[in-house]
Amino acid sequence: MAGLSEKPQALGIDQESAEANKNSSSNKKSVHNRLLEKDKEEGGQGGDMSPSAGSSIKRSGSRPQLDVSKAEIQGNVEEKYPTILLPNQSDDLSHLALDIGGSLIKLVYFSRHEDQSTDDKRKRSVKERLGLSNGNRRSFPILGGRLHFVKFETRKINECLDFINSKQLHRGGAESPYADGATDGNAIIKATGGGAYKYTDLFKERLGVSLDKEDEMDCLVAGANFLLKAIRHEAFTHMEGQKEFVQIDPNDLFPYLLVNIGSGVSMIKVDGDGKFERVSGTNVGGGTYWGLGRLLTKCKSFDELLELSQKGDNRTIDMLVGDIYGGLDYSKIGLSASTIASSFGKTISEKKELEDYRPEDISLSLLRMISYNIGQISYLNALRFGLKRIFFGGFFIRGHAYTMDTISFAVQFWSKGEAQAMFLRHEGFLGALGAFMSYEKHGLDDLMVHQLVERFPMGAPYTGGKIHGPPLGDLNEKASDRNSKYLTSTSIIVTLSNSDFPTQISWMEKFLRKGTEITAPVPMTPAAGTTGLGGFDVPLSRGSSLRSDASALNVGVLHLVPTLDVFPLLEDPKTYEPNTIDLADPSELEYWFTILSEHLPDLVDKAVASEGRTDDAKRRGDAFARAFSAHLARLMEEPAAYGKLGLANLLEMREECLREFQFVDAYRSIKQRENEASLAVLPDLLMEIDSMDEETRLLTLIEGVLAANIFDWGSRACVDLYHKGTIIEIYRMSRNKMQRPWRVDDFDLFKERMLGTGDKKKPPHKRALLFVDNSGADIVLGMLPLARELLRRGTEVVLVANSLPALNDVTAMELPDIVAEAAKHCDTLRRAAEAGGLLVDAMINSSRSSKGKSSSVPLMVVENGCGSPCIDLRQVSSELAAAAKDADLIILEGMGRALHTNLNARFKCDALKLAMVKNQRLAEKLLKGNIYDCICKYEPAS
Amino acid sequence: MDPRRAETGKNSDQIQSGHVYHLALDIGGSLAKLVYFTKNDEHIVGSEKKKSPMKASGISNSSRNSPVLNGRLNFKKFETSKINDCLEFINSMKLHLGAISFQMIAMVMNAGCQQPESPGSQTITIKATGGGAYKYADLFKEKFRISLDKEDEMDCLVAGANFLLETIHQEAFTYMGNQKQFVWIDKNDLYPYLLVNIGSGVGMIKVEGDGKFERVSGTSIGGGTFWGLGKLLTKCKSFDELLDLSYRGNNRAVDMLVGDIYGGMDYSKIGLSSTTIASSFGRAISENKERDDYKPEDIARSLLRMISNNIGQISYLTALRFGLKRIFFGGFFIRRHPFTMDTLSVAVNFWSKGEAKAMFLQHEGFLGAVGAFMSSDKHGLKELLANQKVERPPSKLSFSLDQTQVPQQDGELNGDESIECSVYGA
Repeated sequence: MAGLSEKPQALGIDQESAEANKNSSSNKKSVHNRLLEKDKEEGGQGGDMSPSAGSSIKRSGSRPQLDVSKAEIQGNVEEKYPTILLPNQSDDLSHLALDIGGSLIKLVYFSRHEDQSTDDKRKRSVKERLGLSNGNRRSFPILGGRLHFVKFETRKINECLDFINSKQLHRGGAESPYADGATDGNAIIKATGGGAYKYTDLFKERLGVSLDKEDEMDCLVAGANFLLKAIRHEAFTHMEGQKEFVQIDPNDLFPYLLVNIGSGVSMIKVDGDGKFERVSGTNVGGGTYWGLGRLLTKCKSFDELLELSQKGDNRTIDMLVGDIYGGLDYSKIGLSASTIASSFGKTISEKKELEDYRPEDISLSLLRMISYNIGQISYLNALRFGLKRIFFGGFFIRGHAYTMDTISFAVQFWSKGEAQAMFLRHEGFLGALGAFMSYEKHGLDDLMVHQLVERFPMGAPYTGGKIHGPPLGDLNEKASDRNSKYLTSTSIIVTLSNSDFPTQISWMEKFLRKGTEITAPVPMTPAAGTTGLGGFDVPLSRGSSLRSDASALNVGVLHLVPTLDVFPLLEDPKTYEPNTIDLADPSELEYWFTILSEHLPDLVDKAVASEGRTDDAKRRGDAFARAFSAHLARLMEEPAAYGKLGLANLLEMREECLREFQFVDAYRSIKQRENEASLAVLPDLLMEIDSMDEETRLLTLIEGVLAANIFDWGSRACVDLYHKGTIIEIYRMSRNKMQRPWRVDDFDLFKERMLGTGDKKKPPHKRALLFVDNSGADIVLGMLPLARELLRRGTEVVLVANSLPALNDVTAMELPDIVAEAAKHCDTLRRAAEAGGLLVDAMINSSRSSKGKSSSVPLMVVENGCGSPCIDLRQVSSELAAAAKDADLIILEGMGRALHTNLNARFKCDALKLAMVKNQRLAEKLLKGNIYDCICKYEPAS
Repeated sequence: MDPRRAETGKNSDQIQSGHVYHLALDIGGSLAKLVYFTKNDEHIVGSEKKKSPMKASGISNSSRNSPVLNGRLNFKKFETSKINDCLEFINSMKLHLGAISFQMIAMVMNAGCQQPESPGSQTITIKATGGGAYKYADLFKEKFRISLDKEDEMDCLVAGANFLLETIHQEAFTYMGNQKQFVWIDKNDLYPYLLVNIGSGVGMIKVEGDGKFERVSGTSIGGGTFWGLGKLLTKCKSFDELLDLSYRGNNRAVDMLVGDIYGGMDYSKIGLSSTTIASSFGRAISENKERDDYKPEDIARSLLRMISNNIGQISYLTALRFGLKRIFFGGFFIRRHPFTMDTLSVAVNFWSKGEAKAMFLQHEGFLGAVGAFMSSDKHGLKELLANQKVERPPSKLSFSLDQTQVPQQDGELNGDESIECSVYGA
């Protein structure tokens, strides 16, 4: 830390970043300036700002995450992961609880970030229309925010105090609903653990706060209950190095045995919230391991001792059954020759001294002895009280694979396979979390699984308040013009002269002309000479970054998002699994790892360009690339590092990582350009469509959706097409002669539902939810015309779009503008948009006087609550959930939402899944088909 | 019928063929235990004396027409690492030849079917149990042409315990707070019980009757752990030295007590007093202290408490699981060491909230050897002793100890003892 701290500019990071951030957000604001201002006015006049308005934090609302000003790199800069200290990163509102144990201090604190409310007019009107009450379900609202988890070594308690002080966590934030008005003098912090007594005076002295001691066991149980109920895959089993996450029904959780392995071991029978009993324990615990280990080896820390054990061989230390029986199994009593008959039984040899044994072997033997013993006693206690589940927690485990394996083995061995040891991802933080829960109004009690989202930002301080992440080094010098090839690889499409077009020219030809724009290099402002591509590495290959705690699981930041709901149209939310591809399969993981790695340079390029290629953007682009590469490397090293992970989570993590490095919308310019190009030809397309008969029209519309789905910057194949400039051509070809049957082709079934057969007409759907995908042609030339058709047939249409940007997906914020532009040329759309309150100009009247005046069914836009290219329907915005109540048709469009996720999802209503498969492997694996195959999957309500 | 019974049945065929066993061995991971029978006068059995025991016995057993020898059942132990000492001892005492003598008696009694071969040229068979019975089989064969007839360890252990508990009046006792109290056990209400044999490792056996038992649990943290860790942590040269050390130590220096964590306050809510050990060796993590800064006595004490406590706990939980009223602790770890017994008792008492009591056996350590000695009861020892118990005051059967309870430096001498008894010659 020394040396470097005096010249932060060496990092190339200064206040510029903060300014850049301001710029980017002000840009964003300008788009919706009017809306927001109007909103403020109304809010001021009416004085009826609903309590939940301020809490409408989206599940992805994690920007800006890092205040990198005055950032310091700690330690050796040459290291792969030097520690970065971000002294100026602060959270608006915080609340803090502590668990001060014998060797570690665990902190849990809550922060409410600045509310970047997007409670615009559109939303307001949607809420009105959908009859959304604003969070009146509770007496006081749950606050959206984040739970952070940080740990310190107890012997370095001063670091902990500094951390708290620097973040002013003990002040609790002036506006905190928890702060009892006391911002100075007699603030109180909830604390548990033995140290809560021991360090009372120190906290008073240094921070002026009183520690309010909470019972340790109470806290432990409260923390475990919360985690097991609130986090879907908190528990996992660990056998032979393999982690498997277990989903536990919160209604079938109790009773269970909680084994907390700290210095000693406590075994607690838990019957419910606040209902528990310490039924047993053992004095042979983590302290024994560390204590004996210290006496027997030269290790300086617990972790060092643990690390040693990985290279150990206990056969030199332990007396095995085979040693006693001369290599024969003692099978009669079910013991194999390798069973340990006597721990340390071999060290009685006369000729050998302590120095003659390898410390590695000693550490391993010790670890086995203690873990195995704990597993055995735990099982016996579970058996005694008839408890099905045993959860092991506490810092002894530390995510250490061998420890978990040994405990699991012991439980399995003694139970003859009837019981399984389970572990918790947040082991170690149970007490601190429980202490946090002991605040009177923490609001966590009612929290449901679907309202929690876990994020793994690089910027989250975890150990010792330090942030582990890639160095935000000075990258200017390294900048290269690696992507100049993009500049030269312009369109191969012959561009017509700019002279007058013949009037008969089709919309497609016009669009083709736009093609040069679409495939041109990303526009940027202002054009800088260099790119931001230099300096980042290709993602680290497996192994190169292996750490001793490789199998330890990452603990993320828990986002509490009260506005999330379970999508009500899911047939069975309990069995619903969003991911089609399970990344638990190593070959899948490796494949997607490669795909994402290869896609990275292009993504960084877009991201940097989206902010005008400023030096700061380049620096952040580089940092993002490193950070995301590090995430990927971490996953290759330990696939379970971030909990149960599907492809959807991985894709979302990438978006979150971008946001973390303050790239608000990497594809902004691209989206804009494609939207404009598409909107320009929309009238002609609509005209063409309108000239068709009903049946042809429907088919053309579906074909149009499928073909337009190719404009996808999330697909590597498509990105290549963009770069080669052939994408438009492909689009034209697929649009013109789309071969039926498609790989999955339920079109006839869908047509029958829509148009009926013969004279039998079915009533139109009442309301359709259209989950839209990409910007540009996809939304404008694909989904909007389809929406228009539905509207014409008297079906209300709700366009469901992302809350936050992800790749070139259209967002709920952008849709009203696109619709408004389209409505200029189409009366159907205009009237529907008016009815849905989407047209800004019309809105002034609409909310007051237009009711009943418009005969059209409404076209509405709702946000889905995500910032990912995929969607997990267990966690959607309450707005979408409300809109779904009257819906009887849902259309999922695009790879992310209809293929990567939800391909196998079943709904209570009619469902149509449309996508073009833009990945060869996926096509082969899921459909036994080929790249660019199409899916039209229609499933009537069951 | 228990399959093990069938096995013993097979052995009884051998009895018919006239083998007599005089010496039995239990060779464990750290200690080798010997049980051997000597006649009252001397060890060497001469053919000219063979009739006197028969006269002396005065017992006419309807089922047998065998001679009865009056004598003593002797117990001796060696460290397994000094197995050669054990071999020397056997050699010097001509113990293995005694087996031949018995055999010869039997032959004479059976009116001489064939001439006995000369002792030197014949391979002799001795009953043995314990893992070492396999490991050292070759060594025995090589050195003294002794073939070890391996008896199942568990069979022997249980047979030994059952025999001792059923026949010897003051075999079981409790030990709490320096109070040794013999427990009279009605032999009709003995079963089922839990037998915890603490050798190098710990075996826990549910015993439901003669030959009816099952190894239900165990732990690798046993006597070998105590001695092994103790040897690494202290400069002790022997198990007994380590035990001796532990007696003088104070575990507070090394263990983290509940009071250490809660600043001296009792954590009474969960029923733990401030002196309860929260974490064994939990205090040894102090940064500024090295191994040499701790007293070996304290380390030994802490180690002993850790291991005893753990065994006590697992034993109690296992007994509870199988609904067993009594827990008997045996095996060499205990060595009738007061502190060990006390800790085990305290542990059982603590975890059972006073409902269960740890019990110990006078002949802990020799269960396996006694069992091997009596395997298939070819000596009729059990029956005989049971009969004698009616005829004679049991006190006469009590064994004589060659030593006090103070542990001695030399493990070889420790535990040498004998029981006065009579055996059938064949």
